[in-house]
Amino acid sequence: MIPLPRSLRLVWFVTWFNVRMLLASEFFVLTTFITPLIFATLGFLLFHSGGETAGQTLLYVALGAGMMGVWSTTLFGCGGAIAWQRWEGTLELLVSAPSRYDYILAGQTFGAVVLGFYGIVATLAWGALLFGMPIQATFPLILPLSIAAAVVALGSLGMLIATSFVLYRHANALSNLLEYPIWLIAGLLVPVTTLPLWVQAIGWLLAPKWGMDAIREAAIGSSPPWLAIGMCLVLAVIYYVAARVMLRVVLDKARRDATLALR
Amino acid sequence: MSSQPSLAMSATHGASPAAGTPAIEALDLVRTYDTHLGVVRRKRIQVEAVRGVSFEVRPGELFGLLGPNGAGKTTTIKMLITLLLPTSGTARVMGHDVIRETTEVRRLIGYVFGGDRGLYDRVSALDNLRYFAELYGVEPSEQKHRIGALLEMVGLTGREGEKVEGYSRGMRQRLHIARGLLHDPEVVFLDEPSIGLDPVGARELRQTVRSLTDAGKTVLLTTHYMFEADALCDRIAVINDGKIVALGTGTDLKAAVANRTIIEIETFGVASEALDGLRADPDVVEVNVEERDQSQILLVQSEHGTRITQRLLTLLGDTRVGKVVAREPTLEDAYIHLIASTGGADGAAARASLEMGS
Repeated sequence: MIPLPRSLRLVWFVTWFNVRMLLASEFFVLTTFITPLIFATLGFLLFHSGGETAGQTLLYVALGAGMMGVWSTTLFGCGGAIAWQRWEGTLELLVSAPSRYDYILAGQTFGAVVLGFYGIVATLAWGALLFGMPIQATFPLILPLSIAAAVVALGSLGMLIATSFVLYRHANALSNLLEYPIWLIAGLLVPVTTLPLWVQAIGWLLAPKWGMDAIREAAIGSSPPWLAIGMCLVLAVIYYVAARVMLRVVLDKARRDATLALR
Repeated sequence: MSSQPSLAMSATHGASPAAGTPAIEALDLVRTYDTHLGVVRRKRIQVEAVRGVSFEVRPGELFGLLGPNGAGKTTTIKMLITLLLPTSGTARVMGHDVIRETTEVRRLIGYVFGGDRGLYDRVSALDNLRYFAELYGVEPSEQKHRIGALLEMVGLTGREGEKVEGYSRGMRQRLHIARGLLHDPEVVFLDEPSIGLDPVGARELRQTVRSLTDAGKTVLLTTHYMFEADALCDRIAVINDGKIVALGTGTDLKAAVANRTIIEIETFGVASEALDGLRADPDVVEVNVEERDQSQILLVQSEHGTRITQRLLTLLGDTRVGKVVAREPTLEDAYIHLIASTGGADGAAARASLEMGS
């Protein structure tokens, strides 16, 4: 077997470790595993009461609810993991390790995002079992690609957001602030076409919007979601580069302001 | 703990500095912190934690940085391990600048701190070590052997599969040490590693620390336990109020009070006026008070031997007196003298900080 390059091995190892750490948190497990089902149930009932019971509509709701869970998990997992490490006193050890901290942060972020994608699987199963939703995909071979692109894009965005947690111990206020508005702006809850154009324009810069588009179009769309997948990848690169630049600035500032050890 | 630790990796970093280069070199390090007072009308103030600290540690040396709480020990160590930027001054580890060459420095150092934090409690010790081995760049083929050897060294073999949250403080501390040595660092920074340990745990820890220098490591140990520094360190720097107030071997430091005699007087309910009377005596250099349950031990330092004992008892007047003992000064007395004579903390406070660890 060919050994993984050092950097990839490190990211993979940190991802795996972070998944284990998150699963060891009852609070995280509860919110990650239950919240998407609550979102989906509310969505199904709302659409049912409006007479919208077509299979494609239910799939639209289930995928949106799942993605809302993914976004919440990304925010909580990225920020929460760093806040947690502050509390446990391991953040300084990670920053002062000889490995590049952006790889460590990437691993932590992807750990959270990968767990978050459970939400999509759960809401689909929930919809099928309780609301008779059909499990189908217009482009079944492209769907895994869409999911992978969404994971990468959300992970990179999560990493960019996580840089603020390295510097500020109360950055979780930022993650709370970003949760609900992004659900709306990215079209997870309602179609973005119902929003003003300037709000839609903000959504174009956000990974959840394109990730959602990629997955929905692959599942219930009429044409392959190449644009959405491409945008996910482009945004992932932009976020990652921005995160690296930010991280350099943030770590320098943390060394200057002595904030790494603060709880 | 095992008495036969295996510390050296099969391949070392090959990062020995040029002959004559200190393993650690601090030159006029200064560190100030900005902080705020008040809630509504916030006032920004600057606190000087370290005020021009300079010292050198030779390769293979066990160097102690000794001082009371808040003296600047941890701030100094954090600048040396690249976690804090100095406000001014420079420092090098194995010839690498701690400000600019952070990656090189981080490859060469291990950092262990005391207390309960710094480990992932919800997973096992083995998982903790595997994780940090990966972060510290230990080759996968080397990890199993290395982790096994370190677990053996710190006496945790057989307990490595247990979750860390169930570990005693001593076990956690030993795991910290194993973690800090995973990548076979050339220089090991130990920041108050024995804090909160019971006497047996502290003694075992000291054996482990000693074994590090036996294996050729350079060790910088910070502590506020005099006996620990005395037992372990080749040289000791005493830091107080952000400045180094003395530097040398234990014998060198003791020389500052070598010409003194310590007269210990046990009293029961000594009044402050009586203490003032003792302090006012021209032959008394210093008086410190150790509070016991029912009594106080007055530690009177004098350069006139036991000749003044009777006079001291007279000065105490009606105070009920128990045992009176005269003895040679110890390193602890030297330390208290240094701290008390350089401001920032009086002798009683310095002694209190020592007693917390004894």
